[in-house]
Amino acid sequence: MTYQQLIFLFVNGLSQGMLLFIIASGLSLVFGVLRVINFAHGSIYMLGAFTAYSVSTLLTTESFFHYLILLLVVPPIIAIVGFFLETLLFRRVYTQEHLIQLLLTYALVLIIDDVVRVIWGGDFRNVARPDLLAGSVDLLGMALPTYNVFILIVGPIIAISLWFLLYRTRVGNIIRAAVTYPDTLGALGVNVSWVMTSTFMLGCWLAGLGGVLMASLANIDLGMGMEKIIESFAVVVIGGLGSIGGALLGSLIIGLGVTFFQLPFGRWALLFPYFIMALVLVVRPWGLFGKPER
Amino acid sequence: MKASVLAKVVVTFLTLLVLTSGITSVNAADTIKIGFVADVGGVAASFYKSQKAALDLYVEEANAKGGILGKKLEVVVRDSQMKPDVGANVARELILSEKCDFLVGPTSSAVALAITKVANEFKKIVYFQTSNSEALTTTDFQPYMFQVVPNTGIEARGSAIFLAEKPYKKYGYIGFDYAYGHSQWDSFKKELLKLKPDVDIVEIVWVKAGENNYSPYIPTLMSKSPEVIFSSLWGGGLSSFIKQAAPYGLFKKSTLTSLYDLDTLRLTGKDMPEGLLGYSRAPFYAIDNPQMKEFTKKYYDKYKEWPADWAIMTWDGMVALNEMIKKTNSIDSEKLVKVIGGLKFPSLRGERYIRAEDHMANVGIYVGTTGKDPNYKEFLILKDVQEVPAEKVWLSVEEVKKLQKK
Amino acid sequence: MSIIAPEPGIDMQNQLENTTAHKTNWVIGGIVLVLLVLLPFILQTQGRTGEFWIWVTTEMLITALFSMSLNLILGYGGMVSFGHAAYFGTGAYTVALLMKKAHWPLFLALPAAPIAAGIMAALIGWFCVRRIGLYFAILTLAFSQLLYMVVLQWYNFTGGDDGIHGIVRPEFLTPINYYLFCLAIFVLCFIFMRMIVNSSFGLTIRTIRENMERATFIGINVRRLQWINFIIAGAFAGIAGGLLAELNRFSQTEYLHWSRSAEPILASLVGGMYSLVGPAIGSAFLIFLKIILQQLHRSLVEVWAIILGCILLIMVLFLPDGLVGLYSRIFKKNVS
Repeated sequence: MTYQQLIFLFVNGLSQGMLLFIIASGLSLVFGVLRVINFAHGSIYMLGAFTAYSVSTLLTTESFFHYLILLLVVPPIIAIVGFFLETLLFRRVYTQEHLIQLLLTYALVLIIDDVVRVIWGGDFRNVARPDLLAGSVDLLGMALPTYNVFILIVGPIIAISLWFLLYRTRVGNIIRAAVTYPDTLGALGVNVSWVMTSTFMLGCWLAGLGGVLMASLANIDLGMGMEKIIESFAVVVIGGLGSIGGALLGSLIIGLGVTFFQLPFGRWALLFPYFIMALVLVVRPWGLFGKPER
Repeated sequence: MKASVLAKVVVTFLTLLVLTSGITSVNAADTIKIGFVADVGGVAASFYKSQKAALDLYVEEANAKGGILGKKLEVVVRDSQMKPDVGANVARELILSEKCDFLVGPTSSAVALAITKVANEFKKIVYFQTSNSEALTTTDFQPYMFQVVPNTGIEARGSAIFLAEKPYKKYGYIGFDYAYGHSQWDSFKKELLKLKPDVDIVEIVWVKAGENNYSPYIPTLMSKSPEVIFSSLWGGGLSSFIKQAAPYGLFKKSTLTSLYDLDTLRLTGKDMPEGLLGYSRAPFYAIDNPQMKEFTKKYYDKYKEWPADWAIMTWDGMVALNEMIKKTNSIDSEKLVKVIGGLKFPSLRGERYIRAEDHMANVGIYVGTTGKDPNYKEFLILKDVQEVPAEKVWLSVEEVKKLQKK
Repeated sequence: MSIIAPEPGIDMQNQLENTTAHKTNWVIGGIVLVLLVLLPFILQTQGRTGEFWIWVTTEMLITALFSMSLNLILGYGGMVSFGHAAYFGTGAYTVALLMKKAHWPLFLALPAAPIAAGIMAALIGWFCVRRIGLYFAILTLAFSQLLYMVVLQWYNFTGGDDGIHGIVRPEFLTPINYYLFCLAIFVLCFIFMRMIVNSSFGLTIRTIRENMERATFIGINVRRLQWINFIIAGAFAGIAGGLLAELNRFSQTEYLHWSRSAEPILASLVGGMYSLVGPAIGSAFLIFLKIILQQLHRSLVEVWAIILGCILLIMVLFLPDGLVGLYSRIFKKNVS
């Protein structure tokens, strides 16, 4: 194997990791603020993908402009779904045991997955890549799909925006304070429940964005949420529950790990995310970027 | 908990249970119930639609003529979700609770392997028209089944003979990691190495059955630049693979040989590259006989689309089943099972018979090259189609018997 | 750290009731047992439908055993395991592999199931009990998914996605006999679990659930006891897995999947977590409900997951003490 091929595999793995990051960062953010592990995050991501499909059927052409509309419209729709989920359901269980919270989100997995099946049926679907992103670019003599390049651009934009939002804005200060000192924050007159609702909506927005991007990368079907949620768990655990930087690192480790371990180990490479997830939990349960028990 | 409360809960529960089992045991005796264990969703979705369409068409036509043996046909569908355990459970439910007289098999071979055991346990005939692991007729053979689809051995050996004539030396492989993929790859590799011992198999990639995202695998598959890639992906999975592989330039460097049935060709549409060598199980456009013409017309009139391989083979299975019923004048599987071996039936693919030793119909595959055709504007078809007859590539009776003993 | 604890004091009260009402309990238990033994013979009169229901009730017994085994760690231990399917699946694959590949008879292969599952639980549990709360839940999930992936990928040994099919069944094990066989094992396991729960070990486990810190202070080796409890629960899950493999005559990767781990948790929630039989009734009820809906109308089974999800939502939000709790509330009986 030449070094060009290795670089090519690296870039390809990176684009897989970036997509995973967009989904997993939402999960991590929601955990950080709400302290709820949201099993339904994968289902919300699937909902985003199928919504993207439906919206795309309304758009007549495959122009890049229409694709941008898709990217701008679908994630907010999912965020609105998130608004109702949070205010109607999640809010009731914040003070409850972990088990109750997990079961609530699991109930949502069952309901959302089946609702998607009833609405869209069992067929797999996809959203055609826009004309501008349908081709490929030359990378060291090999063809890399332009769409992968696009994901490689969107991923870092999201990462930087999230960092900016959390560390350079007042909203971000409040969110981070809500992670550490929710009670004090309430005493200071901040509407904590509003912070929680908007964080949850942001998490859903990210899941929705991941869904839209996935709908053009590969085909989407009913199992996609169940599959992605466990991978996202792995990412969040590796990086540290609630840490966005950790989610980025975790996504890249998994995206690249699966790519490169395929070379010597073939299909056994798919064990990698679970193996490293268990390893991190055993050795350093708070994750690579997290802090020991707050 | 107090034991008295527990006792009340349990007793209420048991009473309910006995009552419901009594209520549900009503059955009409003047119908022939056909239980269809189907893989409804995911990569198998388009196959299911074709299978169901043919079954409905057959039932409609038969009932219009007064049914079979004066009994109306009725189809009961259950989704096995491509999961063997679900498949076995619904098959059992179809036989015991729905009281189906016959079963029609699913798309997934793994599910089929589970169902064939259930059919044997309850002595009900099942036929397989899509799922085609060779194991069904060899190591896992049981008499209450017959297969009207070319099995993995026939497909793989037929493809190997076809490809061995071409100048390719470097082979790659990608396939779904389950019964079908493994069974096909084993037969293909064995036959290819026998015909052409100097070929080089450079890369083998297994993906989860039903996988949709191939981007992590395509660069690995291409890294050792195989000249030809043999695949046992199918349906939605294969179509996804082709669409995702194109921007990686895979088709500029290699060619891909796989199952190009009508549904897959339709799904892939204009994204299908021209000039790929492939095979089909029952291409309506390449089979020239009056039954097929009549069937194609009926099918097109009803559904406004062409019948895919799956529709044709599902129909053929019903035709064979009907022959058995006529021959024995009974719908009792115990009687029918005695006439399966050697049964001749007027298949849409021409006159066919079912071999007594393994209940495999002598159905071959159709090899050709993908290309455009003015009659079908939306999708490509296979051109220059040749039939590889089953007799040329199926296992000999001795080999079958040896495997069945295992 | 108290997870999902009932009102304090109830446990002790329960203990007292148990001792005073000991005799009546045995009598009622005996009546229930007689009914359960008679059940298949009544069902048999219904022909093929009856045969179907015998099969369903056998499955109920097996999943009930699985749910009860989880409840040893969930309800009594207060530890939320999201990976209990690992031990269930280990049991199923042990029976399947031993019978299919090594040609062991059922009566040798079945006892091997709890042993293999127990060993698996010992290995995994050793790491898991070092974590508490959410981290414990995620670690059990991670290990069970790891095991699932190993079985899925190891095609030559485990059959991967295909599973292992065609496990033979001894001639005399007709559906009724197999039901009775499962019932016998179920009752034995029940009695054994009851002994464990009421032993000093069981009481200590509950003490740890109520207050881990205090338990540590009074000199209890918390981790060690939780580990032993984890192994016991795993072994019982292994028996259930082995029985299901023989009932279905195959073993399949779905048995190890995380969604299978969720099932006994749902059953425990529906049936109520603070008793031994609650989860058993819960799982039987869920299977029953699913089949009833299917019989009522075919389209109802299409939306089964929605129905199950809604039941779960209602339970979580309004009835965290389960169906048994609901029953007693309706009849204004004071049960714990």
